[in-house]
Amino acid sequence: MDFAWSDQQRELLNAVGRFASQQLNYDVIENDREGIFNHEAWKKCGSFGIQGLPVPTEHGGLGMDPLTTVAALERLGYACKDNGLLFSINAHLWTAVTPLVYNGSEAQKKKYLPGLCNGTLIGGNAMSEPNSGSDAFSLTTTAIKKGSRYILNGSKIFVTNGPIADLLVVFATVDKTRGTDGISAFLVEKNSPGMNVARKLEKMGLRTSPMAEVFFENCEVPEENLLGKEGGGAFLFTRSMTWERGCILASAVGSMQRLLETCIRYANERKQGGQSIGKYQLVASKIVDMKVRVESSRHMLYYYGWLSGHRKSVYLEAAMTKLHIADCWVKCSEDAIQIHGGYGYMTEYEVERELRDAIASKLYSGTSEIQRNIVASMLGL
Amino acid sequence: MKILVPFKSVPDPNDATFAGEAASASKSVINPFDEIAIEEALRIRERGEATEIVGVTIGAPSVDEQIRAALAMGVDRAIRIDDARALDPYAVARILRAVVEKEAPHVVIMGKQAVDDDSNQVGQILAGLLGWPQATFVSSIEFLDNKTRARCTRETDAGLEVVELDLPAIITTDLRLNEPRYVSLPGLIRARRKPIEVLTCDQVGVNVRPLTTVLAVARPPKRPAGTRVESVEELITKLKQEAKVI
Ligand SMILES: Cc1cc2nc3c(=O)[nH]c(=O)nc-3n(C[C@H](O)[C@H](O)[C@H](O)COP(=O)(O)OP(=O)(O)OC[C@H]3O[C@@H](n4cnc5c(N)ncnc54)[C@H](O)[C@@H]3O)c2cc1C
Ligand SMILES: Cc1cc2nc3c(=O)[nH]c(=O)nc-3n(C[C@H](O)[C@H](O)[C@H](O)COP(=O)(O)OP(=O)(O)OC[C@H]3O[C@@H](n4cnc5c(N)ncnc54)[C@H](O)[C@@H]3O)c2cc1C
Repeated sequence: MDFAWSDQQRELLNAVGRFASQQLNYDVIENDREGIFNHEAWKKCGSFGIQGLPVPTEHGGLGMDPLTTVAALERLGYACKDNGLLFSINAHLWTAVTPLVYNGSEAQKKKYLPGLCNGTLIGGNAMSEPNSGSDAFSLTTTAIKKGSRYILNGSKIFVTNGPIADLLVVFATVDKTRGTDGISAFLVEKNSPGMNVARKLEKMGLRTSPMAEVFFENCEVPEENLLGKEGGGAFLFTRSMTWERGCILASAVGSMQRLLETCIRYANERKQGGQSIGKYQLVASKIVDMKVRVESSRHMLYYYGWLSGHRKSVYLEAAMTKLHIADCWVKCSEDAIQIHGGYGYMTEYEVERELRDAIASKLYSGTSEIQRNIVASMLGL
Repeated sequence: MKILVPFKSVPDPNDATFAGEAASASKSVINPFDEIAIEEALRIRERGEATEIVGVTIGAPSVDEQIRAALAMGVDRAIRIDDARALDPYAVARILRAVVEKEAPHVVIMGKQAVDDDSNQVGQILAGLLGWPQATFVSSIEFLDNKTRARCTRETDAGLEVVELDLPAIITTDLRLNEPRYVSLPGLIRARRKPIEVLTCDQVGVNVRPLTTVLAVARPPKRPAGTRVESVEELITKLKQEAKVI
């Protein structure tokens, strides 16, 4: 196992860092306050190549291996302070793009992947429902086949990118009596008749990443938009969740590294009681813990990336990676506020936003409790 | 039309490394004014007025990352003159003259200065050595008379000066000429297939030796912290007696 970057990887990572720090960090405080998605930055990321990182070259992507991909996303998180934008990109990559890459028909890939890679199309997924969250497979949205179409009925909640998405991967059951085996995935384009992207949801953090409730009322989906097999939705979802858990917090590792550096700088500069606050053991020890959290998170991330790239089973590792990084990110951002004292609590220092953004990482892609359940079951408990 | 764009690798100005400390390779970038020159060359090609853009730089293999960045932006091919010495503007201009003679471009577009040493001399010396006309600190370029002449706007303290010059010529770029595009990942991958020709000074037939030597680089002295005065009277006394400004 070797995590030393080749010259090519290093150049790619440096290019990501330079691009992100120069092109993506404007109006972040304002957009966070108002809940505005930076569409311009999304398009730039597309033309730069972010959304195509893990997509095969024949479908308009860069064909990067998982380790290089997570390292690039880590660098993106380090250099770009708009966690909401990055969350939208992650949701797009792991809940729409990856399922298409692995389960899409040639025609579906041809139709959607180039646009999803180059920034012209935005994707997302709709799994969670008002009454099925952690127990996702108890969903009740139905898809009934009528001729050459499926008719969808039901309601979805917490749909990241919902208000801006061109394409949603929607999960519904073709036959409730079949339980998990009835769950199927559909590619639903925006403005499909019968699909209603309703209320935009106001949230604590990741405020620059828009989210909506979506209703389906006799929504017609052509049969060629079935993604994977009829009844194959649960398998497809589990697979894309594994990708998502392994990769979605790569940018959080970068964001933790940035927080760490910010805190070291602040602790050296800020003087109280006649010395830099970093000289107080109580402050220094917080920074040491931050450092250990960043490094352990990074190693779990790279290890996941390496395993995934070598086609090893990563079900357990993805859950542990997600669980660990989420905990670390929340703790690091809380400590960062503490180290900055009253200033850390002020919006203009851009530290408090980090905590608000970090907290959701313990909820999406399966709550931390659910990750623990997975690890426990993999340990034979 | 063929455009030659000389560029220099400099420590990243957005990364506050002290000039005297060795900047690590990953913290180097293309000199921002040269990046503007590259961008201008690309735009000239995109509007159909140029067919080939050749980049040239002088340095050790560590500058290959900046060369690939130039190729990723869209430069067709690059030449690296393999010389790791700290050269002064005259030496650089002499090497570039040899490259110009080898490549025979119709126009050389380059930054007005490098942000590390701020010499602002290479373009001018190169024009002198070649006996070519020059337009410096340029904020717009347009080609006339079937690309035999160029009309450039120069930014001077007195205002905007418009000059016309015969080609071949040297043009040096100012900040407001354009805003360079960013290096994209697909561009970076394409750049790997573009050729980088490595030549020594011997191979291009020049023997240079810096005429000036940098003796030392030092941080500016730290400014002492300000002092607080108790009253307006004390302030006026200090301004009179200590600062001697009133
Ligand atoms: C920012 C954000 C973005 C999201 N984006 C999307 C999206 O794009 N698409 C989508 O479909 N969904 C999305 N979600 C929804 C997310 O997947 C759910 O919130 C999550 O799965 C939890 O479901 P729930 O909110 O219904 O909570 P519940 O499942 O009701 O859980 C409530 C609490 O009970 C605990 N709990 C539940 N079951 C168990 C159990 N078996 N063992 C132990 N504890 C348990 C949970 O851990 C949690 O603490 C997003 C959520 C957030 C916060
Ligand atoms: C919501 C809010 C309301 C406020 N309202 C008021 C108000 O109405 N009036 C008012 O006067 N002030 C107010 N404050 C300011 C507040 O009292 C200060 O923020 C607090 O005393 C910390 O000071 P500081 O922010 O300068 O941080 P610093 O003192 O610079 O502390 C920075 C970090 O260093 C640590 N540190 C500092 N010294 C030591 C030490 N000796 N040993 C170990 N660790 C140390 C701190 O614990 C902290 O983690 C308010 C602050 C907030 C957040």
